[in-house]
Amino acid sequence: MTATGALAKFQERLAHRAAEWARRRNGADRLPLSLGRRRLYILPTRAGIGFGGLVFTMLAAGLNYTNSLALLLTFLLAGFALVAMHECHRNLLGLSLLEAAAQPMFAGTTGTLCLTLENASRLPRYRIEAALDGPPSLALDLPASSRGKIELAIPALARGLRRIERLRISSSHPFGLFRVWTWIHAPIEVLVYPRAAGSLPLPADRGVRSGTWPRGTAGADEWLGLRPFRDGDSPRQVAWKAYAREAPLLVKEYSSSGSPLRLLSLEDARQADLESRLAQLARWIVDAEADGSLYGLELPGAQLPAHRGPDHRHRCLSALALFGT
Amino acid sequence: MIGARSVADAAPPPLLWVCAASAAAFLLHATQFPAWVTLTALALVGWRVAAAIGRVRLPGRAVRILLGLSLVIAVLAEFHTLNGLAPGTAMLMLMASIKLLETRDRRDQYIVIGGALFLLLAACLDRQELARVPLYALEALLCCAALAVVAYSSARGTEGSPQPAGLPTREALVLAARTLLFATPLAVLLFLFFPRLPGHFWAVNAGEDAVTGLGDTLTPGSITRLTASYDIAFRVRFDGPPPPPEERYWRGPVMHEFDGSTWRTGPFSLGGAQRLDCLSRPYRYRVFLEPTFRHWWLALDTVMDSPSAAVGYTGDYQLIAAQPVSGSLDYRALSCTHVRSLAPLSPAARVEDTRLPSGRNPRTAMLALQLRHRAGSDGAFVQAVLAFLRTGGFTYSLTPPPLGAEPIDDFLFNTRTGFCGHYASAFVDLMRAGGVPSRVVTGYLGGQWNPFDGTLIVRQSDAHAWAEVWLEGRGWTRVDPTAVVAPERLYRGILDLLPNAVSASERLVHAWPWLSTALERWAALNGWWNERVVSFDSRAQLNVLRDLGFRSPELRDAGWAFALTLLAWLAWLSWQFGRAAAGPRLDRLGRAYARLCRKLARTGVPRAPHQGPLAYAQTLVRFRPDLALRVRPLLEAYAELRFGPGSQRAPARDLQAFERAVGRLTVSRPSRLRRSREGAQRGRKGSAERDAD
Repeated sequence: MTATGALAKFQERLAHRAAEWARRRNGADRLPLSLGRRRLYILPTRAGIGFGGLVFTMLAAGLNYTNSLALLLTFLLAGFALVAMHECHRNLLGLSLLEAAAQPMFAGTTGTLCLTLENASRLPRYRIEAALDGPPSLALDLPASSRGKIELAIPALARGLRRIERLRISSSHPFGLFRVWTWIHAPIEVLVYPRAAGSLPLPADRGVRSGTWPRGTAGADEWLGLRPFRDGDSPRQVAWKAYAREAPLLVKEYSSSGSPLRLLSLEDARQADLESRLAQLARWIVDAEADGSLYGLELPGAQLPAHRGPDHRHRCLSALALFGT
Repeated sequence: MIGARSVADAAPPPLLWVCAASAAAFLLHATQFPAWVTLTALALVGWRVAAAIGRVRLPGRAVRILLGLSLVIAVLAEFHTLNGLAPGTAMLMLMASIKLLETRDRRDQYIVIGGALFLLLAACLDRQELARVPLYALEALLCCAALAVVAYSSARGTEGSPQPAGLPTREALVLAARTLLFATPLAVLLFLFFPRLPGHFWAVNAGEDAVTGLGDTLTPGSITRLTASYDIAFRVRFDGPPPPPEERYWRGPVMHEFDGSTWRTGPFSLGGAQRLDCLSRPYRYRVFLEPTFRHWWLALDTVMDSPSAAVGYTGDYQLIAAQPVSGSLDYRALSCTHVRSLAPLSPAARVEDTRLPSGRNPRTAMLALQLRHRAGSDGAFVQAVLAFLRTGGFTYSLTPPPLGAEPIDDFLFNTRTGFCGHYASAFVDLMRAGGVPSRVVTGYLGGQWNPFDGTLIVRQSDAHAWAEVWLEGRGWTRVDPTAVVAPERLYRGILDLLPNAVSASERLVHAWPWLSTALERWAALNGWWNERVVSFDSRAQLNVLRDLGFRSPELRDAGWAFALTLLAWLAWLSWQFGRAAAGPRLDRLGRAYARLCRKLARTGVPRAPHQGPLAYAQTLVRFRPDLALRVRPLLEAYAELRFGPGSQRAPARDLQAFERAVGRLTVSRPSRLRRSREGAQRGRKGSAERDAD
């Protein structure tokens, strides 16, 4: 038990040292990047070591019996393993990682990192896997001259703007005798919203409030502002006058009648500590967006006027994510 | 682990591949073992397949253990040992099939494939005929394809594709075939140059059960089985012209002891060979002997000396090796077809070669005494006996009737039908009864001349037995009583002589000359295979090195040649695969543009992958206004040549001009102006790395 524990610890330390070494060796990467020979590492797998043992046993038998045909078979299999090594290496050699984009995620949940890979060569590539420090993703096959995406689970992270320090792309195609891999140290950032948690009810409809907050008077649509054009917007809502003045295509937005108007502020989220209060705010934002409210966010040093929609939700949650960092 | 459900099913497609690879490996051994071994192993594979389909349950652990133990006992009962190639292979075969029953995951499947590969090796150790090589190659291909399928399915597929999508059969086979094809040059190089060691590391247990060819006893009738076999016994290449057909007697075991029905060799006397006077032309030749698992090395009639230190040369000119012939081998020898002994027969030998069991075959003894009495000398006695055989109504037959309690009497006075074994033993019995020292020699007579490689092929169907008698003043003299009864036997094979004795297919071959021509070619190819590949050893390896120009090659040179060729092959492979992994092959314009971009990357502003030539020109000029006049026209020219009107057939002149302009362009590094020399070197290194990428 202790022996296996010590072995596991040793392996972990070895892996850590190897990773550090690779980090120093390759330096920081910039995307897009193409996988060159200098950054591809290759080692036999357990099956590969077993295959090597088999070939050595065969060699001993062939030499002992001085049997030419047995030796020929042994040499053929040895060559097979070496060619398999080159094929495995080729499977990643020249592969391009075009993009690594992570959707914002909530703290305490797993996120998704989406890698875009390009195979510009004339041969297909098979069984490409990616991994952070955990288990590898599902494998991707790339036909000749094609692109594909790998989705990779990001483990739960703490609130804030987090960097994914290290990414591993690997493959053991074609025969599982060797595994080729590379480490990528690109600045991949993922925004982690606070955990959406807390049991306080949504603050009530504020109705009228003087100052910056628009009135939600019943019966009349209130002009809210301009926002960029999105596919599916009605042409009637486009601000054509502004477009004529060489502005980008904008859409006039109105509050629909009867939508509640809520102001979410840090002071109202009465929780024990800051993180819990931010979590409560995040909960409210998610709920308010879900029930169609207009909502604004008030933080010390930052105010977001009432609005709604995915962009607004993202802005509010980002403000929470970066609050105090 | 206990219970039928404990073994979860592996996904069917890789499992089927593994089953197919195992079953094929078992079939390779089908001819080597009793049928039950192969059938049991195949039945277990069938069980696994049926379980994968869902028809039956897999056995639990207890059943598997019980099955394993009972199969060990069965193998022990069959072979009486587990040590040795045949029982070991049978054991491996059965254990691999039991392992197949408990395959759960990828690791188990890899182990079963490894077992199949090892069985393939065992098949190579067992049989090395050229005809089996395609089968071995197929099995290797099947195992490698199974590896690919198992490896492919072990990595989970992406969500878009349906989950169990394994590697398609065709792709798996193509992948395995391509890999093996790339491996073939290395296999050949290693075969030629991997240092071979003469001799064995540890004792090799020869297959005593696989005895073919001549035995050390002769009971008239026992050669029947042998003559029906069309297998090659050995091939011979003569330095000069071969001896005429009637002189092609190949000596094997010599029989001295007779008990009335069976001849035995008796104890060997090494080194007692008498000095001989060669009366015929001496023949120098090389013999390529197929494995016999016997101690005899075959040689033309009277061989003058032992061809190897490991082979004893007996007083009756047999060649007896210390080790049985377990693989193909070849040796040179020198023989005479007619000799005269220069010394008298020793009294001990005279006693031994005139001894007969008392009271056996009395009528034969009576006849011998009568004939000897009438004849004046031993020589006349021999002629009288031969005349008796010639005129006595004897017939030659490979299917003679069975002989009674006194076989020689029964043969000479009753059945009068037999083949070489009958005539030789009856003749020697008569000689000894008449007091003339004599012995039975077994071996081969004849051989078929193959014009395609200039060898004489001697088959098992050429097996023969004749006699040697001691005549004063002459010594041991060959007498073939069969030739008296059936003189054609000297010139033609048994096949011509007795068409009914051989199988229908062999008669067919004989009826059609083109078929026998094809078979001769095939035999020549087989000969090449046996001579050059199967019997390639350390000596042959040194010969190859000598041909390559090493003065006095030794093992170390083979090591050097091996290392060099290995490196060369690896470099070639690396280049080949690196080329395949690179992007699409560029046209001339594309190459020139790539060169331009490489040069411009030294400015520190490399072209981003999404940028076209004009966008890049804009970016570049913003950072390096000094280059604007030189670089912008080039990038614009590229855009024009590639995308402009008439770009489909741009004149070669413009392309050449563009290439020349790119060649002339020199780009200074940005670092020259500001940074120190060290900084400049670092920058150069950095850009070099980018170029390498």
